[in-house]
Order: sequence, then C-alpha cells, then structure tokens
Amino acid sequence: MTRPSDVKPREGEQPAALYKDWKVGAEFPPLPFTITPDIVREYMSVVDADPKNYVIDGRQAAPPNVVFVYMMAVMYRLYPPQQGGIMLGNTVQFHNPIWADEDTEVVGTGRVTDKYEKKGRKLICYDVDFKRPDGTLLVSVNHTSAFPE
Amino acid sequence: MAARLEKTIPQTQDMFDDYGKLNGDNDVLHYDDAFAKARGFRGTLGHGLMYTGYVCDLAARKYGRDWHYRGRLTVKYVRGVCPGDRLVVTLEPDGTAQCKSQFDTTLVGSATLA
Repeated sequence: MTRPSDVKPREGEQPAALYKDWKVGAEFPPLPFTITPDIVREYMSVVDADPKNYVIDGRQAAPPNVVFVYMMAVMYRLYPPQQGGIMLGNTVQFHNPIWADEDTEVVGTGRVTDKYEKKGRKLICYDVDFKRPDGTLLVSVNHTSAFPE
Repeated sequence: MAARLEKTIPQTQDMFDDYGKLNGDNDVLHYDDAFAKARGFRGTLGHGLMYTGYVCDLAARKYGRDWHYRGRLTVKYVRGVCPGDRLVVTLEPDGTAQCKSQFDTTLVGSATLA
C-alpha cells in the first residue's frame, strides 16, 4: 500500500520550488505507487462517495478519481511544494477502471505545460497521466494552480 | 427526461482534516484559521479536489459504467469553502456541474462522456 504521505513531501519540509524555477516542457520523474482496497475505502469516506455508484458488471470499482490524492506528488518529484498554493482548476479524462477489490499498481508521469502571470498571480499548468505498469492509461489530468512566489 | 442530481454536504474542519490526512499535504490554508484569515479568506479552505470528488460521485451515479471509460470532467474553483458552509453539489441533465454554498458559487464545471 502507498499512502500519499509516503510519496509526497510536505510543505515546509524542504526548500520550495518557486515560480522562476518552473520550466515549460520539464518532465516529472515517474512516480510508482500502489492503491489498495483500504485506500479506496478511505477515499470514498472523505469524498462522500457511495460505493453503489461504482459497480461495473457486478464488480466493485473504485472512484477513478482516487488518483487525485497522488496527483500533486507527481509534480512534487521535480518541484517541491510551497505554502499558500491555490488550486484553480482541473480537466480530467477517465480511461479505464480501477478496481476496489485488488491492489492496483500505478505509475504517475507528467510535465509542465504552461506558466504565466495573470491579475497579479503566478499560474502553473501541468499534465499528469496515471497508467498501469503495462501502459494501460487510467486517468489523465491537466491542472492549474497559483502560487505566491 | 434525465433528472438533476443534487446533494447537500455541510462542511466541517474535521472533513478538511480527514481529507488532508489521506492526501498527505501540509498546506496551512486548509488547517490554520488565523493564517487563512490573514490572507483575506473567511477561514480555513476546503480542498478543491475534495469538491471535485463530490462532483465525480454524482457523475458516476449518472453515467455508471461509462464514467470509468469515457468520463470527461472540467472544474474551476471560483470561491473558497470554509467550515460551517452548507455546500450544495449539483449535476444537471446536460452535464453542467456546480458547487454552491450559502454565500456564493464555489465550483463550476462539467461532467460528460466523450
């Protein structure tokens, strides 16, 4: 089992990446992790998810958005977090189910897609893809956050 | 005709803490009331991805199996959500998604199928 805290540096633990450090096109090192049934259950409880909404052909699936709790850890592999970041938006595509009754190995990869300043805020955009080790695409995300510095 | 889906989730600091415990973050905006207020917010802020999860649950209920294979979601977080807020999450028949507190619209977006 990989709890997100196992793979996610916490704000303040190490020098934070600043806006000037981000490079458009920079690739994040791959992040392998394992989602277990326990993680799925905990995730469902914290997002008020009803397990009945995730049954596929009689089999219990996980909310495919369970990967969200690992998403920023992929980016943090290259750019450690700073305090005060504000999430602005996400565009997400779900491609294949994650099952709630088995361990799921996942590899998260990604890259910086844009950076710009708008209305006095420093905005960063990046893609994250979540795949099984065999390359099966599970979830793809484009994310935008604003940081103070 | 497909119906609008809706649920109401009163927000508490415990919910922010529980999501943060799983999420493994230490962004003080979610946990330190004085810090958040010093930066102009009404109080600590809930996690944007937690609200995204609320929307996704309605989408999974609406689209079933197809959501896992063809789900498409866009969300923008337009206002913060604080402890004590009464959050109403809606998903319209055309896929328009929204979260709204008693103060303002907090999230806008869509949940559809490719």
